[in-house]
Amino acid sequence: MKIKEEIKDGVMVIRLSGKVISGPDLMDLKSVFQKAVSDATGNVLLDLGHVSWMDSSGLGVLVSGHTSLAREGGRMAILNATRKIHELFIITKLITIFETFTDESEALDSLKE
Amino acid sequence: MLKGIVLKIPSDDIIVETVQTFVEKVGLTAGVSEEDVTGLSIAVMEVVKNAIEHGNGGDPKKHVTIYIDVYPGRLQFQVDDCGNWQPDADLGHDPGEGEALISSRGRGVLIARNLARWLDYGLNPEGKTRATLIWPLS
Repeated sequence: MKIKEEIKDGVMVIRLSGKVISGPDLMDLKSVFQKAVSDATGNVLLDLGHVSWMDSSGLGVLVSGHTSLAREGGRMAILNATRKIHELFIITKLITIFETFTDESEALDSLKE
Repeated sequence: MLKGIVLKIPSDDIIVETVQTFVEKVGLTAGVSEEDVTGLSIAVMEVVKNAIEHGNGGDPKKHVTIYIDVYPGRLQFQVDDCGNWQPDADLGHDPGEGEALISSRGRGVLIARNLARWLDYGLNPEGKTRATLIWPLS
């Protein structure tokens, strides 16, 4: 898994690519979420457009990040989830708690509100 | 045809990545496509990780045994642990609501079932938990 982060319009944009599955890489993703929470960046846009696979551990990190941000009054939105990942959100019902977008500008506008 | 592969591993997370690589190699040898083989290994490893955690309580002295057989049109994995837990009762098919839904854990069986299409739990001849996962081969 590769992780890239940038601040865009005051929103932390985290772009993931590859496999979001069990392993040391997940610790890096946890750290990025912790940084977003501790830096009080507030809102996070998670770009999953290039994520090929995700397992339950990967989903767990996303849920944990979402919950930590919400506890501090922040929000996390998902951008460009592929069909495979979107299906995963549906079967786990996480689609009911994740805000999802297919347009980055629209997602950033929503998170700036 | 691949038959009678048996892998006995200690219940230790450190071995998980190695087993995942092995499962992918077996899958490719059996005819699973490059595109699908990660899905196969994720499904199998969700089952193995549950066996380590729920069946054996993460005790490295307890083993998980994986039996792999290739049949015409299907690849079968049987995963035995040393427990007698009831996955459908303990983990279920339903991700739950409220606090359960936002838990960072407990989605492995759902994901494995979704990927493999066939995952069932029962008992092995010694009365311990056995998961059977079947992956269709085209």
